[in-house]
Amino acid sequence: MILRRLAPVLLFAAVLFLMQWFSGRGLTALPFLTVAVFLAVVLLGRWIPWQSLGARVRPGSRLFSLVLFLHITRHFVSILGQETTRVLQARALCLRRRWGPGAFRSLAWALAGILGRSLVRAERFYAAQLLRGLGE
Amino acid sequence: MKPVLEVAGLCCRLGSRTVLRNIGFSLGEGQAVALVGANGAGKSTLLWAILGLLPSDGEVRIFGRPRSRDGLARLGVVFQNPEDQLFMPSLEQDLTLPLLNRGEAPGPAREKALEALEAVGLAGYAGTPAQRLSLGQRKRAAIASVLVSSPSLLILDEPTAELDPRSVRQLTALLNRLPVARLIASHHLEFLQATTTRALLLSEGAIAADGPSGSVLGDEGLLAGAGLI
Ligand SMILES: Nc1ncnc2c1ncn2[C@@H]1O[C@H](COP(=O)(O)OP(=O)(O)OP(=O)(O)O)[C@@H](O)[C@H]1O
Ligand SMILES: [Mg+2]
Repeated sequence: MILRRLAPVLLFAAVLFLMQWFSGRGLTALPFLTVAVFLAVVLLGRWIPWQSLGARVRPGSRLFSLVLFLHITRHFVSILGQETTRVLQARALCLRRRWGPGAFRSLAWALAGILGRSLVRAERFYAAQLLRGLGE
Repeated sequence: MKPVLEVAGLCCRLGSRTVLRNIGFSLGEGQAVALVGANGAGKSTLLWAILGLLPSDGEVRIFGRPRSRDGLARLGVVFQNPEDQLFMPSLEQDLTLPLLNRGEAPGPAREKALEALEAVGLAGYAGTPAQRLSLGQRKRAAIASVLVSSPSLLILDEPTAELDPRSVRQLTALLNRLPVARLIASHHLEFLQATTTRALLLSEGAIAADGPSGSVLGDEGLLAGAGLI
């Protein structure tokens, strides 16, 4: 399960890594940081008592912004995870032969599509929060 | 009538909630069955459990055999969310993928894809990626993408949710032309009346009624008891 969810993040990190590699300007820790942050959020997601977290913090305080940020991040990670799972399952259902023609191409397009959709989601989500008066 | 789908003693827990309780039914060749229930009754969960996409207890047999990759590939599944199954750079490639994967030649595969797009009113959109379509058009494309491989059992989750009245009428006519067995989850009662002959009523994760569509879908007391109307 967690491996499936990790797939788009790993792809993103790998693309980042390759881009840095080929640009010849030296590597940074960013790709590794991406994966590390993702894992940290997933683990935190298991341990933090999310339900009660918001209720205890005073709106407007520094801590409130942090809690809000954590909630939004968690929201995103869970959406990304669910969408990844569903897309990969839909792809598996239509392939009679796991490694047959089109298998790699469709995997690449499916993962690329997830990245695209998560960007669209992020924009839509941000717009919705703006309308509600949250955000800057 | 040979059974195409048999479900027995199916139970599913998600987190700490029991979402499906002891579901049992079977579906014969060419049968058209409605899966009806209120929001949250467990329709989607049941479909997912049948497909093996969610952990569940109980027995599921597809075409008389335990679930397998080959069996699943003979199903045509339309998810509630069409974006999940259209990810290639054009509709044509989305539709030809399953055909090419099982070894068909590109020429005939392309022909079938164009035919399926035409059947759902999307002729002329073969080169378009799904992201550039409206939600209803995407849903129709998703339906075309499963019809193209001539499935032996259609599983549709809320096929009419985003469709305008004319598209609903076209889909009704299209489904009624196909002799293939189908299980349609929806709360669009009129559509179910027109496209199915038998209905399973799901209420809080259990089957509350199983009978002819006409009588189950027309029984207001029954539907009200299931929280549907
Ligand atoms: N990941 C989950 N964890 C716990 N409960 C869940 C989860 N996903 C769904 N449920 C619960 O399972 C129940 C059935 O959900 P399901 O999506 O199958 O309903 P549905 O009949 O398809 O509804 P709709 O008509 O809205 O599509 C709901 O009550 C929902 O709260
Ligand atoms: Mg549903």
